[in-house]
Amino acid sequence: MKELVNVRSQPELENASLVVGWQEDAGKLGPKVIDYLNKHIRGSTFCEIEPVTFFHLGAVVVDNDIAQFPVSKFYAGTRKDLVIFESTEPPHERYRFLNSVLDVAEHYCRIKEFYTVSGTIAPIAHTSPRRLLAVFNQPEFQKRLRGYELEDMTWEGPPAINSFLLWLAHKRGISGVSLWPEVAFYLAATQDPRATKVVLSFFDRKFELSLDFTGLDSEIKGQNEKLALLRREDPEIDKYIRTLEIGISLNEEEQLRLAQRVAEFLEKPPT
Amino acid sequence: MTGNQSLIRDERMGIKLYKDTKLDRPDLVCGWPGIGKIGIMAIDYLRRAIAAEELGEIEPWDFFEPRKVTIRDGLLKDLEFPTNKFYYQRLRKRDLLLFIGEEQPAEGARFYATGEKAYGMANLVLDIAEKFGCQRVYTSGAAVTQTHHTLKPKVWAVPNSEDLVDEVRDYENTVLMSEIEGRRGQGAITGLNGLLLGVAKKRGIKALCLMGEIPYYLHGSPWPYPKASISVLEVLASTLGIDIDLIPLEEMARKIDESIEQFLGSLYEAEAIPSPIRNQIKESIEKMKHVRESPGPITDEDQKRIMEHIDEFFKRGKKGDERAG
Repeated sequence: MKELVNVRSQPELENASLVVGWQEDAGKLGPKVIDYLNKHIRGSTFCEIEPVTFFHLGAVVVDNDIAQFPVSKFYAGTRKDLVIFESTEPPHERYRFLNSVLDVAEHYCRIKEFYTVSGTIAPIAHTSPRRLLAVFNQPEFQKRLRGYELEDMTWEGPPAINSFLLWLAHKRGISGVSLWPEVAFYLAATQDPRATKVVLSFFDRKFELSLDFTGLDSEIKGQNEKLALLRREDPEIDKYIRTLEIGISLNEEEQLRLAQRVAEFLEKPPT
Repeated sequence: MTGNQSLIRDERMGIKLYKDTKLDRPDLVCGWPGIGKIGIMAIDYLRRAIAAEELGEIEPWDFFEPRKVTIRDGLLKDLEFPTNKFYYQRLRKRDLLLFIGEEQPAEGARFYATGEKAYGMANLVLDIAEKFGCQRVYTSGAAVTQTHHTLKPKVWAVPNSEDLVDEVRDYENTVLMSEIEGRRGQGAITGLNGLLLGVAKKRGIKALCLMGEIPYYLHGSPWPYPKASISVLEVLASTLGIDIDLIPLEEMARKIDESIEQFLGSLYEAEAIPSPIRNQIKESIEKMKHVRESPGPITDEDQKRIMEHIDEFFKRGKKGDERAG
């Protein structure tokens, strides 16, 4: 563990919960939620997982003109009951990586439970309400969170890293839940602030954070206005979104067209 | 693992044994996925034929990624990894241990065992072999060569000790590397089949790799190649002194042969491939049907060019299947 984890200081935590978010996420949900929470608790890094074992360091990836580097950092701040972990998803050695995360969470932070946050892509319109789906690793924890408007997920197939973490935590007796807010599929490549708000509202209520949603509400309003403009300009796009709004699915070609057009429009610099 | 089997766990080794069994100087036979699924199909068939019982497993999470999650009503029920299990059976002439791995531990996107993980896995397998007093280890896989799918595949045998060479010479339908034209006793065995042979040699355990021949034009095919598994099983049955009913495997081989014939028919007629190349492919493949020992020269360059077209053809078939699915 000494080689894998670099602990800079011991945070003051009490009965803390860990929130985990991954950098690459549908609708940029994970990074947005982590950023929002971190600003609120004025979080600073106290520990990081060294990248050399888990990431390809043969070349640095450039994205949007900026050189990127893998991040795997723990943050703590003004709240003794919250600790945050933000990371790039490791491409290999995930078992060792996730065990390192749990080592820090268990031995340095003595967490009582953890929450992972990732968007799940849904065939819904951006105007529809977003469900917050959940997967627990212990039924007792599931019972404790009844009343928070979480919907039970059912799924069988390839596992996301969150499920791997839940499974490893269960082996150690640590309670955990993966929160999966729905992201409108055509906003997956850009941002879905409404989905972000659904998760943040859950944390706000669960941890009595008194979050200020003014900025996020303004983002939602701005995105809605832009998409309303696109619908007026492009009748085909309007037809696709109306179809989704009445609960009818689009075919593969229509989905692709809608996603491409929306991404182009939202990423277009304002004139 | 299933049910309430009692566990004898060795945390250091990453191995779970379900029962404390005593075996009398068993041989160990190993199978993993590889080209044409020749090795794993042979060893899994042997496991069923001798009704081998589960003995234990290597804990997978250090070696493999999970491949399936089951979530029901908001609860994570199961995370499934590729299994790596030991089996055993007491046969009339000797006791037998089997090890069957659903995947080879690899690094990055590689298919074959490489690196630290593969070495770790090979050592764990041999730890169990030594714990039970194994006398000999067999691995099995594919030998990609210039043969035709209508011919009976030979078995290439590579021992890790001089002591085994004379014995191998007496096996039916089997050749040593020195007996293969142009090889001069040289070659390489990729993946765990080779690595296990090497690590066994390091530990002073005798080991033998049996590789069933598969035509080079099928090595990228999506089908198993049971014909070669049969050849491997015949050698194993003879050396282990057991009878194995091979009729179901022969029936499967016959059906696969039909698929291969259909595939080659389509390949020879494919308009997407230029006519001279198609003719060259057909001539190269079909001449091997008639000449068992020495199919005639084909340069590495020609073989590479032919394979590019055949692999492309296989890929197109796969895409079609996926779209239909």
